Amino acid sequence: MGVDVLIAEDEPSILDSLDFILRRAGFSIESVTDGDAALAAIRRQRPRLVVLDVMLPKRSGFEVLKQIRADAVTRDLPVMILTAKGQAQDRQIAEDLGASSFITKPYANAEVVGTVKRLLAETR
Amino acid sequence: MRAPIGLRISSRRRALGISQAALARQAGISASYLNLIESNRRQVGGALLLRLAHELKVDIGELSGEAEHRLIAEVDEALADPVLQSAEFGGLAARDLVAQQPAAALAIARLHRAYLSAQASADDYSDRLRTDPLLAELLHRVLSGITAVRSSAEILEDVADLDEAERRRFVASITRETRGLTDVARGLIGQFEQEAKGRRTLSPMRELDDLIFERDNYFPALEAAAAELRGEIVRAGAFGEATLTDLLERGFGVRVVRSGGRELDALGFPGQYHFNPETRVMWFQSSAIAATRQFQLTRLYAELAASEVIEREVLAPELGSPAARRLGYRALGSYMAGAIVFPYAGFLGDAEAVRYDIEALRQSYTASFEQVAHRLVTLRRPGEAGVPFGFLRSDPAGRLTKHFPLPGLPMPASGHACPLWAIYAAFRTPEALVRQVVQFADGSRYLFIAQAHARRVASFADRGAIHTSVMLACDVLHADRTVYATGLDFADPTADVPVGPACRLCTRRDCPDRQEEALMPGGQPSAVRAPLVPRRFDVGEAG
Repeated sequence: MGVDVLIAEDEPSILDSLDFILRRAGFSIESVTDGDAALAAIRRQRPRLVVLDVMLPKRSGFEVLKQIRADAVTRDLPVMILTAKGQAQDRQIAEDLGASSFITKPYANAEVVGTVKRLLAETR
Repeated sequence: MRAPIGLRISSRRRALGISQAALARQAGISASYLNLIESNRRQVGGALLLRLAHELKVDIGELSGEAEHRLIAEVDEALADPVLQSAEFGGLAARDLVAQQPAAALAIARLHRAYLSAQASADDYSDRLRTDPLLAELLHRVLSGITAVRSSAEILEDVADLDEAERRRFVASITRETRGLTDVARGLIGQFEQEAKGRRTLSPMRELDDLIFERDNYFPALEAAAAELRGEIVRAGAFGEATLTDLLERGFGVRVVRSGGRELDALGFPGQYHFNPETRVMWFQSSAIAATRQFQLTRLYAELAASEVIEREVLAPELGSPAARRLGYRALGSYMAGAIVFPYAGFLGDAEAVRYDIEALRQSYTASFEQVAHRLVTLRRPGEAGVPFGFLRSDPAGRLTKHFPLPGLPMPASGHACPLWAIYAAFRTPEALVRQVVQFADGSRYLFIAQAHARRVASFADRGAIHTSVMLACDVLHADRTVYATGLDFADPTADVPVGPACRLCTRRDCPDRQEEALMPGGQPSAVRAPLVPRRFDVGEAG
């Protein structure tokens, strides 16, 4: 049985609040704290959407995104990129790699919840 | 950019009440020739200028206006700065200003120095902000902390039915993250404070330049101390590595060690040699050549045996900042080592005998090209001077990494020089000497000799050693005293290479090798990198 959202985020406080707001919005959540674990969890849990931080240990969020798009099984999985680096080139890389959405920290909780809802509605 | 030497000669002559004919006779030239010189229609230099200076009882520098030359060059550089590109200065603005308002000219030169220095540190900061991994990490932590705090605060505010455990969890998260942010903020402040203390500026180099220029690159007190130390060394044995090693061990408890590996100095710099004051070990990598070992052992001996002499020189008013004094101590330590390795009178005699043949001098003194070239520029003892040379060293990126000015020669103080100079051509034929007769836009002519060389590598893993190029420059008036004039026809200026100081400071509009816009009289931009079809919005123009 797959989960709704996989969160890949290595900052414990951010992960805790993301987990809380998305659960309250009614989604089932799985979370990991590095890039390798994110790829393993995507294969194992088949989430409907991934919230992916860019600066992750072991394998960056961009590398994870590239792998997701390279694998026929996960190619269409919606991925929301979270980054503390809001520079234009990061946004460009995310777009080039096929991110579904790009959110810059610090964000408003409503922005995250709203984006997740919109992306999941689009895939239905 | 030649100062009006003729005018100085004639006004000095009049002040002394000597007739033109009398001075010409004393100097051994015809009155009509002196007349041409005084009216600036003939160049004068070398032995004749010395004789005239002697007869007029003035210092040669006073006649040739060296200090003014330098100020003119600095003001020129200031006026050529891109920020002033659209201002309308005539070609002679700097010279006029120096002649008519010397105090204002000096003020402009100083302001320009301060501006360059501020610009350099602004560049440093912007580089740091863009690329510094430590700063990027700190900023990332700031944004992450703020994200966590904001998100938790929104939960506390927006979610009405939080249970007590959840409320405590998010309050604790805010407390933890704000503490973390405080530490990060402290780290950031510390980072910038440290930077401000040790930041690189152009000023210390300029201060050192001023000192060297002020003393005409000759330091009598260091020469005297060097002569004494040389005496001590040769009393202990033949001058060279063995005797120096022995003296350093007996006198200062220094052990000289050579090994093949890479060793870092106290600051983590992997040089070819370094001295550890704690363990008293002077280390050389096995690749360090005999010339390097001899020179650095001499330098260490000078710094240990005569530190107070160097310190006294470093207290000169020109070296105002601690950074300049540190640079000065290093430069003067090397000066003293040069003066010990190449004792003044003997070296000058040998240099004259072989007509400044640097290769020949290298062999006699177990020295490198750069060491010999450096010592040659310091042979400026009044009444016992050698050929006046300027000195430049460049890295393969074209950046000038060391320079000793030659009065009159328009030499940029930083950055890079004219790409046509032999110092760059030498990179194409490493280890081979390149010579060149150049002519500047004002008609002044110089002989340039340059050679590029790489340090010897210690192993295959060390193969990335870069080449550096060293150049000596002398006025063609003195060139025939050197072996490098052999076969060159100085009488035919059409064979000269037309050069400038650096593109930005060069007035040659017809140079096909121009790489950068220059200041043009009237603020007209040149055609470098212009569109093929002329447009009205030219570089540096507002409308």
